[in-house]
Amino acid sequence: MIRSSSSLLPVEVNASLSETLQVISAEPLDVVALLSQAHHPGAGAVVLFSGEVRDSNKGREVACLEYEAYAPLAVKMIHEILAEARKKWGLRLAIAQHRIGRLSIGESAVVVITASAHRREAYEANQHIIHRIKHEVPIWKCEYFTDGGHQWGNNCNC
Amino acid sequence: MKIHVYATLKDYFSSEFELNAVARNTDELKLRLLEINDGAKSILDNCRFAIEEGFIDHDHKLKENDTVIIIPPSSGG
Repeated sequence: MIRSSSSLLPVEVNASLSETLQVISAEPLDVVALLSQAHHPGAGAVVLFSGEVRDSNKGREVACLEYEAYAPLAVKMIHEILAEARKKWGLRLAIAQHRIGRLSIGESAVVVITASAHRREAYEANQHIIHRIKHEVPIWKCEYFTDGGHQWGNNCNC
Repeated sequence: MKIHVYATLKDYFSSEFELNAVARNTDELKLRLLEINDGAKSILDNCRFAIEEGFIDHDHKLKENDTVIIIPPSSGG
């Protein structure tokens, strides 16, 4: 069995991670565990993006966020986005996981990990994937503010 | 026809409800929904529509027993 020198995980485990990972999760995202599995012997670069809950937005203090998704379509679209990115940038690995439910400040809402032979492809693909997840996939954020108000979506600053 | 709405549309409609009116396509469905709550017009104008796991175009023929998912602009991440 071939093993990845960096993680000592079987290559087969790494290769199937993108197929078995639950891309929409009601449980807290374990960023460190995801990264520990995201190694490939052919990848000299691994890029991890974690979108995390900020304590303010446009001058209002945020208490928490809540995400919901239309999961059947969201899962399908995220898999398609990852597959397209793998092909376009020749990635060794591309995974994404998005949280749903109520999140506290500092929690990770979404993780995207890309791995490629060299860093340029991993960086570019990672930005592309998170941009498409934010703008195309049926997942919505509701911000709850400390002043008692709440606001759905339409607040992307990117 | 069953209707499921998400996110900000839940401020205007029940998250799941039965529509007992004729809507042959998504344009007609939007009109029926505005008859229930016309405050949702600007949001509905920017929504996508789906059946099960696929988006549908405005000229897709809806059937009486369809479950239509109404999808506001995404705001994940």
